[in-house]
Amino acid sequence: MKKKMKKGKITMIVTIGIVCFILALVMSMQFKIVNETDITSIENMRESELRAELANWKSKYEETNQQYEEVTAKIEEYKNNKQSNDETEKLVNEELEQVNQLLGKTDVQGEGIEITLRETDNEEISRITSDDLVLIINTLKGAGAEAISINDERIINMSDIVDINGSFIKVNGQRILAPYILKAIGNQSYMESALIGNGGPIDEMKKIGQDVSVQKVNKLKIEKYNKDIKMKYIQ
Amino acid sequence: MNKKIISIVLGIMCFTLTLGICIQVRTVKNSNSTVSQNYEENNLRAEVLKYKEKYENKYRELEKAQEQLEQERQNSTQNNESLEKKEEEIKQGNKMIGLSEVTGPGVIVTLSDSKQEASSVLNPSSLLVHDADVLSVINELKNAGAEAISINGQRLVPTSSISCGGNIIDINGEKVGAPFEIKAIGLPEQLSALSRQGGYLEILKNASIGAELKKSNNITIPKYTGIISYQYAQTVE
Repeated sequence: MKKKMKKGKITMIVTIGIVCFILALVMSMQFKIVNETDITSIENMRESELRAELANWKSKYEETNQQYEEVTAKIEEYKNNKQSNDETEKLVNEELEQVNQLLGKTDVQGEGIEITLRETDNEEISRITSDDLVLIINTLKGAGAEAISINDERIINMSDIVDINGSFIKVNGQRILAPYILKAIGNQSYMESALIGNGGPIDEMKKIGQDVSVQKVNKLKIEKYNKDIKMKYIQ
Repeated sequence: MNKKIISIVLGIMCFTLTLGICIQVRTVKNSNSTVSQNYEENNLRAEVLKYKEKYENKYRELEKAQEQLEQERQNSTQNNESLEKKEEEIKQGNKMIGLSEVTGPGVIVTLSDSKQEASSVLNPSSLLVHDADVLSVINELKNAGAEAISINGQRLVPTSSISCGGNIIDINGEKVGAPFEIKAIGLPEQLSALSRQGGYLEILKNASIGAELKKSNNITIPKYTGIISYQYAQTVE
Protein backbone atom coordinates (compact mmCIF):
# COMPACT_ATOMS: atom_id res chain seq x y z
CA MET A 1 0.00 0.00 0.00
CA LYS A 2 2.69 2.44 1.05
CA LYS A 3 4.87 1.48 -1.88
CA LYS A 4 2.06 1.93 -4.36
CA MET A 5 1.32 5.41 -3.03
CA LYS A 6 4.95 6.39 -3.42
CA LYS A 7 5.00 5.21 -7.03
CA GLY A 8 1.88 7.15 -7.83
CA LYS A 9 3.32 10.26 -6.22
CA ILE A 10 6.52 10.04 -8.25
CA THR A 11 4.58 9.68 -11.49
CA MET A 12 2.50 12.66 -10.58
CA ILE A 13 5.51 14.82 -9.76
CA VAL A 14 7.29 13.80 -12.95
CA THR A 15 4.20 14.54 -15.02
CA ILE A 16 3.71 17.92 -13.43
CA GLY A 17 7.41 18.62 -13.86
CA ILE A 18 7.19 17.90 -17.58
CA VAL A 19 4.08 20.03 -17.95
CA CYS A 20 5.76 22.92 -16.16
CA PHE A 21 8.83 22.55 -18.37
CA ILE A 22 6.75 22.62 -21.54
CA LEU A 23 4.83 25.63 -20.34
CA ALA A 24 8.03 27.49 -19.53
CA LEU A 25 9.43 26.58 -22.95
CA VAL A 26 6.37 27.87 -24.77
CA MET A 27 6.53 31.05 -22.74
CA SER A 28 10.15 31.72 -23.60
CA MET A 29 9.44 31.07 -27.28
CA GLN A 30 6.64 33.57 -27.13
CA PHE A 31 8.91 36.11 -25.51
CA LYS A 32 11.35 35.69 -28.34
CA ILE A 33 8.70 36.25 -30.98
CA VAL A 34 7.49 39.38 -29.24
CA ASN A 35 11.05 40.66 -29.03
CA GLU A 36 11.73 40.01 -32.68
CA THR A 37 8.63 41.78 -33.89
CA ASP A 38 9.75 44.83 -31.95
CA ILE A 39 13.27 44.98 -33.39
CA THR A 40 12.60 45.66 -37.02
CA SER A 41 10.00 48.17 -37.99
CA ILE A 42 9.96 46.68 -41.47
CA GLU A 43 7.97 43.80 -40.04
CA ASN A 44 5.00 46.10 -39.89
CA MET A 45 5.39 47.70 -43.31
CA ARG A 46 2.98 47.21 -46.15
CA GLU A 47 4.01 46.20 -49.61
CA SER A 48 4.22 49.70 -51.11
CA GLU A 49 6.26 50.95 -48.16
CA LEU A 50 8.57 47.97 -48.49
CA ARG A 51 9.11 48.72 -52.17
CA ALA A 52 9.97 52.33 -51.37
CA GLU A 53 12.31 51.18 -48.63
CA LEU A 54 13.97 48.72 -50.98
CA ALA A 55 14.45 51.36 -53.68
CA ASN A 56 15.93 53.67 -51.06
CA TRP A 57 18.52 51.15 -49.85
CA LYS A 58 19.32 50.11 -53.41
CA SER A 59 20.08 53.63 -54.53
CA LYS A 60 22.06 54.29 -51.37
CA TYR A 61 24.09 51.17 -52.04
CA GLU A 62 24.70 52.10 -55.65
CA GLU A 63 25.76 55.64 -54.78
CA THR A 64 28.13 54.33 -52.14
CA ASN A 65 29.54 51.76 -54.50
CA GLN A 66 30.18 54.37 -57.18
CA GLN A 67 31.86 56.67 -54.71
CA TYR A 68 33.93 53.76 -53.41
CA GLU A 69 35.16 53.00 -56.90
CA GLU A 70 36.08 56.63 -57.50
CA VAL A 71 38.01 56.81 -54.24
CA THR A 72 39.91 53.58 -54.84
CA ALA A 73 40.77 54.73 -58.36
CA LYS A 74 42.21 57.94 -56.92
CA ILE A 75 44.25 55.98 -54.38
CA GLU A 76 45.73 53.90 -57.19
CA GLU A 77 46.58 56.99 -59.19
CA TYR A 78 48.35 58.60 -56.26
CA LYS A 79 50.30 55.40 -55.69
CA ASN A 80 51.28 55.06 -59.34
CA ASN A 81 52.33 58.66 -59.74
CA LYS A 82 54.31 59.04 -56.56
CA GLN A 83 57.51 59.77 -58.46
CA SER A 84 56.07 62.41 -60.73
CA ASN A 85 55.37 65.78 -59.18
CA ASP A 86 53.43 66.95 -62.23
CA GLU A 87 51.04 64.01 -62.16
CA THR A 88 50.52 64.37 -58.42
CA GLU A 89 49.80 68.05 -58.88
CA LYS A 90 47.17 67.21 -61.48
CA LEU A 91 45.48 64.81 -59.07
CA VAL A 92 45.53 67.28 -56.21
CA ASN A 93 44.13 70.01 -58.46
CA GLU A 94 41.29 67.74 -59.56
CA GLU A 95 40.37 66.94 -55.98
CA LEU A 96 40.61 70.56 -54.98
CA GLU A 97 38.34 71.57 -57.83
CA GLN A 98 35.73 69.07 -56.69
CA VAL A 99 35.90 70.41 -53.14
CA ASN A 100 35.60 73.97 -54.42
CA GLN A 101 32.58 73.04 -56.49
CA LEU A 102 30.78 71.66 -53.44
CA LEU A 103 31.78 74.72 -51.45
CA GLY A 104 30.26 76.97 -54.11
CA LYS A 105 33.59 78.55 -55.03
CA THR A 106 33.28 77.82 -58.75
CA ASP A 107 30.93 79.08 -61.46
CA VAL A 108 28.65 76.25 -62.50
CA GLN A 109 26.40 75.59 -65.46
CA GLY A 110 23.64 73.12 -66.23
CA GLU A 111 19.93 72.69 -66.71
CA GLY A 112 17.67 74.24 -64.13
CA ILE A 113 14.96 76.70 -63.32
CA GLU A 114 14.68 80.41 -62.77
CA ILE A 115 12.16 81.82 -60.31
CA THR A 116 11.12 85.46 -60.39
CA LEU A 117 9.44 87.08 -57.41
CA ARG A 118 8.13 90.61 -57.89
CA GLU A 119 6.76 92.98 -55.29
CA THR A 120 3.23 94.08 -56.16
CA ASP A 121 1.91 97.64 -55.78
CA ASN A 122 -1.18 96.32 -54.03
CA GLU A 123 -0.85 97.29 -50.36
CA GLU A 124 -3.10 94.46 -49.24
CA ILE A 125 -0.77 91.78 -50.51
CA SER A 126 2.02 91.03 -48.08
CA ARG A 127 5.63 91.82 -48.88
CA ILE A 128 8.01 89.02 -49.87
CA THR A 129 10.04 88.15 -46.77
CA SER A 130 13.23 86.33 -45.98
CA ASP A 131 11.10 83.44 -44.68
CA ASP A 132 9.62 83.01 -48.16
CA LEU A 133 13.11 82.79 -49.64
CA VAL A 134 14.32 80.38 -46.92
CA LEU A 135 11.35 78.15 -47.63
CA ILE A 136 11.84 78.20 -51.40
CA ILE A 137 15.52 77.35 -51.04
CA ASN A 138 14.75 74.52 -48.63
CA THR A 139 12.21 73.14 -51.11
CA LEU A 140 14.68 73.43 -53.98
CA LYS A 141 17.32 71.53 -51.99
CA GLY A 142 14.77 68.88 -51.10
CA ALA A 143 14.08 68.45 -54.81
CA GLY A 144 17.76 67.90 -55.51
CA ALA A 145 19.05 71.36 -56.43
CA GLU A 146 22.83 71.31 -56.82
CA ALA A 147 23.52 75.03 -56.95
CA ILE A 148 21.31 77.99 -56.03
CA SER A 149 21.65 81.75 -56.15
CA ILE A 150 19.43 84.72 -55.29
CA ASN A 151 20.13 87.86 -57.29
CA ASP A 152 23.52 86.30 -58.05
CA GLU A 153 24.37 85.79 -54.36
CA ARG A 154 25.40 82.15 -54.30
CA ILE A 155 23.80 80.06 -51.57
CA ILE A 156 26.52 78.10 -49.78
CA ASN A 157 26.30 75.71 -46.84
CA MET A 158 26.28 78.45 -44.20
CA SER A 159 24.40 81.16 -46.14
CA ASP A 160 21.83 83.11 -44.15
CA ILE A 161 18.82 85.08 -45.37
CA VAL A 162 17.46 87.71 -43.01
CA ASP A 163 14.97 90.55 -42.95
CA ILE A 164 16.40 93.85 -41.76
CA ASN A 165 13.78 95.95 -39.95
CA GLY A 166 11.11 94.48 -42.18
CA SER A 167 12.27 96.69 -45.02
CA PHE A 168 14.90 94.79 -46.96
CA ILE A 169 16.54 91.39 -47.20
CA LYS A 170 20.17 90.41 -46.73
CA VAL A 171 21.72 87.28 -48.23
CA ASN A 172 25.28 86.37 -47.20
CA GLY A 173 25.34 89.74 -45.47
CA GLN A 174 24.65 91.52 -48.78
CA ARG A 175 21.56 93.64 -49.26
CA ILE A 176 19.39 92.46 -52.15
CA LEU A 177 16.48 94.25 -53.78
CA ALA A 178 13.26 93.11 -55.49
CA PRO A 179 12.61 91.65 -57.99
CA TYR A 180 14.23 88.54 -56.55
CA ILE A 181 15.57 86.16 -59.15
CA LEU A 182 16.43 82.69 -57.89
CA LYS A 183 18.44 80.36 -60.07
CA ALA A 184 18.73 76.65 -59.34
CA ILE A 185 20.56 73.91 -61.22
CA GLY A 186 19.21 70.39 -60.97
CA ASN A 187 16.38 68.22 -62.23
CA GLN A 188 13.93 70.69 -63.79
CA SER A 189 10.73 68.75 -63.34
CA TYR A 190 11.47 67.68 -59.75
CA MET A 191 12.21 71.23 -58.72
CA GLU A 192 9.32 72.75 -60.62
CA SER A 193 6.72 70.36 -59.27
CA ALA A 194 8.00 70.73 -55.71
CA LEU A 195 7.53 74.50 -56.00
CA ILE A 196 4.29 74.84 -57.93
CA GLY A 197 2.61 71.60 -56.90
CA ASN A 198 -0.29 71.77 -54.49
CA GLY A 199 0.97 73.19 -51.17
CA GLY A 200 4.39 74.07 -52.59
CA PRO A 201 5.80 77.48 -51.59
CA ILE A 202 5.26 79.11 -55.01
CA ASP A 203 1.73 77.71 -55.13
CA GLU A 204 1.03 79.22 -51.71
CA MET A 205 2.43 82.60 -52.75
CA LYS A 206 0.31 82.62 -55.89
CA LYS A 207 -2.78 81.84 -53.85
CA ILE A 208 -2.36 85.02 -51.81
CA GLY A 209 -1.90 87.04 -54.98
CA GLN A 210 1.85 87.50 -55.11
CA ASP A 211 3.53 87.98 -58.47
CA VAL A 212 5.69 84.88 -58.89
CA SER A 213 6.74 82.81 -61.88
CA VAL A 214 8.87 79.77 -62.61
CA GLN A 215 10.68 79.16 -65.86
CA LYS A 216 12.78 76.25 -67.09
CA VAL A 217 16.18 77.18 -68.47
CA ASN A 218 18.31 74.64 -70.28
CA LYS A 219 21.68 76.29 -69.92
CA LEU A 220 21.68 78.12 -66.64
CA LYS A 221 24.84 79.66 -65.26
CA ILE A 222 25.26 80.30 -61.56
CA GLU A 223 28.07 82.44 -60.31
CA LYS A 224 30.46 81.45 -57.57
CA TYR A 225 30.47 82.73 -54.02
CA ASN A 226 32.59 85.80 -54.44
CA LYS A 227 34.19 86.10 -51.00
CA ASP A 228 36.58 83.97 -49.00
CA ILE A 229 34.86 81.42 -46.82
CA LYS A 230 36.49 81.90 -43.47
CA MET A 231 36.26 79.39 -40.67
CA LYS A 232 37.71 80.32 -37.33
CA TYR A 233 36.21 77.89 -34.86
CA ILE A 234 35.90 74.47 -36.43
CA GLN A 235 38.76 72.05 -36.00
CA MET B 1 -2.12 17.04 4.40
CA ASN B 2 1.31 17.52 2.91
CA LYS B 3 0.08 16.22 -0.42
CA LYS B 4 -2.75 18.69 -0.44
CA ILE B 5 -0.41 21.66 0.01
CA ILE B 6 1.84 20.44 -2.79
CA SER B 7 -1.13 20.00 -5.07
CA ILE B 8 -2.40 23.49 -4.34
CA VAL B 9 1.03 25.05 -4.91
CA LEU B 10 1.44 23.19 -8.17
CA GLY B 11 -2.07 24.13 -9.19
CA ILE B 12 -1.37 27.81 -8.61
CA MET B 13 1.90 27.56 -10.51
CA CYS B 14 0.25 25.92 -13.50
CA PHE B 15 -2.48 28.53 -13.46
CA THR B 16 0.05 31.38 -13.43
CA LEU B 17 2.02 29.87 -16.28
CA THR B 18 -1.09 29.35 -18.36
CA LEU B 19 -2.16 32.90 -17.67
CA GLY B 20 1.31 34.09 -18.74
CA ILE B 21 1.06 32.21 -21.99
CA CYS B 22 -2.40 33.55 -22.67
CA ILE B 23 -1.17 37.12 -22.22
CA GLN B 24 1.80 36.44 -24.47
CA VAL B 25 -0.31 34.91 -27.20
CA ARG B 26 -2.60 37.87 -27.12
CA THR B 27 0.32 40.33 -27.32
CA VAL B 28 1.76 38.53 -30.31
CA LYS B 29 -1.62 38.46 -31.97
CA ASN B 30 -2.03 42.18 -31.46
CA SER B 31 1.38 43.13 -32.78
CA ASN B 32 0.89 40.87 -35.75
CA SER B 33 -2.56 42.07 -36.60
CA THR B 34 -1.20 44.73 -38.94
CA VAL B 35 1.19 42.35 -40.63
CA SER B 36 -0.12 40.39 -43.48
CA GLN B 37 2.35 37.62 -43.75
CA ASN B 38 2.06 36.89 -47.41
CA TYR B 39 4.84 35.49 -49.45
CA GLU B 40 5.49 38.58 -51.58
CA GLU B 41 5.92 40.83 -48.56
CA ASN B 42 8.26 38.41 -46.85
CA ASN B 43 10.38 38.30 -49.95
CA LEU B 44 10.52 42.06 -50.09
CA ARG B 45 11.43 42.19 -46.45
CA ALA B 46 14.33 39.85 -46.98
CA GLU B 47 15.43 41.91 -49.97
CA VAL B 48 15.34 45.13 -47.95
CA LEU B 49 17.49 43.59 -45.24
CA LYS B 50 19.90 42.27 -47.82
CA TYR B 51 20.40 45.65 -49.45
CA LYS B 52 20.63 47.40 -46.13
CA GLU B 53 23.43 45.07 -45.14
CA LYS B 54 25.12 45.44 -48.51
CA TYR B 55 24.98 49.20 -48.14
CA GLU B 56 26.37 49.11 -44.61
CA ASN B 57 29.28 46.91 -45.63
CA LYS B 58 30.05 49.08 -48.65
CA TYR B 59 29.86 52.21 -46.54
CA ARG B 60 32.43 50.82 -44.11
CA GLU B 61 34.71 49.99 -47.04
CA LEU B 62 34.23 53.50 -48.40
CA GLU B 63 35.15 55.05 -45.08
CA LYS B 64 38.32 53.00 -44.96
CA ALA B 65 39.15 53.94 -48.55
CA GLN B 66 38.63 57.62 -47.79
CA GLU B 67 41.05 57.42 -44.90
CA GLN B 68 43.53 55.68 -47.14
CA LEU B 69 43.10 58.33 -49.81
CA GLU B 70 43.80 61.07 -47.31
CA GLN B 71 46.94 59.22 -46.21
CA GLU B 72 48.04 58.66 -49.79
CA ARG B 73 47.44 62.29 -50.70
CA GLN B 74 49.44 63.40 -47.70
CA ASN B 75 52.32 61.11 -48.58
CA SER B 76 52.37 62.29 -52.17
CA THR B 77 52.35 65.97 -51.33
CA GLN B 78 54.62 66.17 -48.34
CA ASN B 79 57.76 67.09 -50.25
CA ASN B 80 56.27 69.97 -52.15
CA GLU B 81 55.25 73.15 -50.41
CA SER B 82 52.60 74.34 -52.85
CA LEU B 83 51.04 70.87 -53.05
CA GLU B 84 51.05 70.62 -49.30
CA LYS B 85 49.09 73.83 -49.15
CA LYS B 86 46.52 72.51 -51.58
CA GLU B 87 46.26 69.29 -49.61
CA GLU B 88 45.48 71.36 -46.53
CA GLU B 89 42.84 73.26 -48.54
CA ILE B 90 41.14 70.01 -49.52
CA LYS B 91 41.05 68.87 -45.90
CA GLN B 92 39.71 72.21 -44.72
CA GLY B 93 37.16 72.25 -47.54
CA ASN B 94 35.82 68.85 -46.58
CA LYS B 95 35.27 70.13 -43.06
CA MET B 96 33.31 73.12 -44.34
CA ILE B 97 31.18 71.01 -46.66
CA GLY B 98 30.43 68.57 -43.88
CA LEU B 99 32.34 65.58 -45.20
CA SER B 100 34.49 65.24 -42.08
CA GLU B 101 33.88 65.43 -38.37
CA VAL B 102 34.60 68.76 -36.66
CA THR B 103 34.99 69.98 -33.10
CA GLY B 104 35.00 73.42 -31.53
CA PRO B 105 33.19 75.82 -29.21
CA GLY B 106 29.54 76.62 -29.80
CA VAL B 107 26.00 76.16 -28.57
CA ILE B 108 23.45 73.39 -28.25
CA VAL B 109 19.83 74.38 -28.83
CA THR B 110 17.16 71.94 -27.73
CA LEU B 111 13.63 72.28 -29.08
CA SER B 112 10.96 70.09 -27.51
CA ASP B 113 7.21 69.78 -27.86
CA SER B 114 5.13 71.65 -25.30
CA LYS B 115 4.26 69.82 -22.09
CA GLN B 116 0.79 71.33 -22.06
CA GLU B 117 -2.20 69.05 -22.51
CA ALA B 118 -3.22 68.93 -26.15
CA SER B 119 -6.85 69.24 -25.14
CA SER B 120 -6.17 72.49 -23.28
CA VAL B 121 -5.62 74.58 -26.41
CA LEU B 122 -7.60 75.39 -29.51
CA ASN B 123 -4.96 74.19 -31.94
CA PRO B 124 -2.94 71.22 -30.62
CA SER B 125 -0.56 71.52 -33.56
CA SER B 126 0.75 74.78 -32.06
CA LEU B 127 2.26 72.75 -29.21
CA LEU B 128 4.59 70.83 -31.53
CA VAL B 129 7.96 71.77 -32.98
CA HIS B 130 7.56 72.03 -36.76
CA ASP B 131 9.99 71.82 -39.65
CA ALA B 132 9.57 75.57 -40.18
CA ASP B 133 10.70 76.23 -36.58
CA VAL B 134 13.83 74.15 -37.07
CA LEU B 135 14.46 75.90 -40.40
CA SER B 136 14.17 79.33 -38.75
CA VAL B 137 16.46 78.41 -35.86
CA ILE B 138 19.05 77.15 -38.32
CA ASN B 139 18.84 80.28 -40.43
CA GLU B 140 19.37 82.37 -37.30
CA LEU B 141 22.34 80.25 -36.25
CA LYS B 142 23.90 80.79 -39.68
CA ASN B 143 23.24 84.49 -39.35
CA ALA B 144 25.04 84.43 -35.98
CA GLY B 145 28.10 82.96 -37.64
CA ALA B 146 27.69 79.19 -37.25
CA GLU B 147 30.37 77.26 -39.12
CA ALA B 148 28.94 73.75 -38.77
CA ILE B 149 25.47 72.57 -37.72
CA SER B 150 23.87 69.23 -36.96
CA ILE B 151 20.33 68.25 -35.97
CA ASN B 152 20.01 65.07 -33.93
CA GLY B 153 23.33 63.97 -35.36
CA GLN B 154 22.45 64.78 -38.99
CA ARG B 155 25.11 67.11 -40.38
CA LEU B 156 23.93 69.99 -42.55
CA VAL B 157 25.62 69.94 -45.95
CA PRO B 158 25.00 72.21 -48.98
CA THR B 159 22.26 69.88 -50.26
CA SER B 160 20.49 69.29 -46.93
CA SER B 161 16.81 70.09 -46.65
CA ILE B 162 14.33 69.82 -43.84
CA SER B 163 10.88 68.54 -44.54
CA CYS B 164 7.85 67.56 -42.59
CA GLY B 165 6.86 63.92 -42.40
CA GLY B 166 3.93 63.81 -40.01
CA ASN B 167 5.07 64.26 -36.44
CA ILE B 168 8.68 63.66 -37.37
CA ILE B 169 10.92 65.64 -39.69
CA ASP B 170 13.10 64.46 -42.49
CA ILE B 171 16.72 65.66 -42.74
CA ASN B 172 19.17 64.28 -45.29
CA GLY B 173 16.57 61.60 -46.01
CA GLU B 174 16.73 60.41 -42.39
CA LYS B 175 13.79 60.69 -40.06
CA VAL B 176 14.32 62.45 -36.75
CA GLY B 177 11.81 63.21 -34.01
CA ALA B 178 11.43 65.73 -31.18
CA PRO B 179 13.19 66.75 -29.02
CA PHE B 180 15.50 68.29 -31.60
CA GLU B 181 19.07 68.81 -30.50
CA ILE B 182 20.71 71.37 -32.76
CA LYS B 183 24.47 71.69 -32.36
CA ALA B 184 26.33 74.62 -33.85
CA ILE B 185 30.02 75.49 -33.81
CA GLY B 186 31.03 79.15 -33.78
CA LEU B 187 31.68 81.91 -31.28
CA PRO B 188 29.39 80.93 -28.35
CA GLU B 189 28.76 84.55 -27.32
CA GLN B 190 27.60 85.41 -30.82
CA LEU B 191 25.57 82.24 -31.33
CA SER B 192 23.74 82.77 -28.05
CA ALA B 193 22.25 85.93 -29.55
CA LEU B 194 19.50 83.50 -30.54
CA SER B 195 18.02 83.73 -27.08
CA ARG B 196 17.85 87.55 -27.23
CA GLN B 197 14.61 89.38 -26.55
CA GLY B 198 12.29 89.13 -29.51
CA GLY B 199 14.46 86.40 -31.01
CA TYR B 200 13.05 83.21 -32.43
CA LEU B 201 13.70 81.16 -29.29
CA GLU B 202 11.66 83.62 -27.25
CA ILE B 203 8.82 83.42 -29.75
CA LEU B 204 8.86 79.64 -29.38
CA LYS B 205 8.96 79.88 -25.58
CA ASN B 206 5.97 82.21 -25.61
CA ALA B 207 4.14 79.54 -27.56
CA SER B 208 5.01 77.26 -24.61
CA ILE B 209 7.38 75.18 -26.75
CA GLY B 210 10.56 74.05 -25.02
CA ALA B 211 13.53 76.06 -26.33
CA GLU B 212 16.81 75.85 -24.43
CA LEU B 213 20.22 77.19 -25.40
CA LYS B 214 23.40 75.98 -23.78
CA LYS B 215 26.93 77.21 -24.47
CA SER B 216 29.73 74.70 -24.65
CA ASN B 217 33.45 74.88 -25.26
CA ASN B 218 33.71 71.46 -26.75
CA ILE B 219 31.16 70.40 -29.32
CA THR B 220 31.65 67.55 -31.75
CA ILE B 221 29.62 67.51 -34.94
CA PRO B 222 29.68 64.29 -36.97
CA LYS B 223 30.27 64.10 -40.69
CA TYR B 224 27.56 63.63 -43.28
CA THR B 225 26.99 59.92 -43.81
CA GLY B 226 25.51 60.23 -47.26
CA ILE B 227 27.10 61.04 -50.60
CA ILE B 228 27.04 64.32 -52.47
CA SER B 229 27.45 63.86 -56.17
CA TYR B 230 26.32 66.42 -58.72
CA GLN B 231 24.76 65.27 -61.96
CA TYR B 232 23.58 68.55 -63.45
CA ALA B 233 25.94 71.27 -62.27
CA GLN B 234 29.25 71.50 -64.07
CA THR B 235 32.09 73.81 -63.21
CA VAL B 236 32.81 76.32 -65.95
CA GLU B 237 35.60 78.84 -66.27
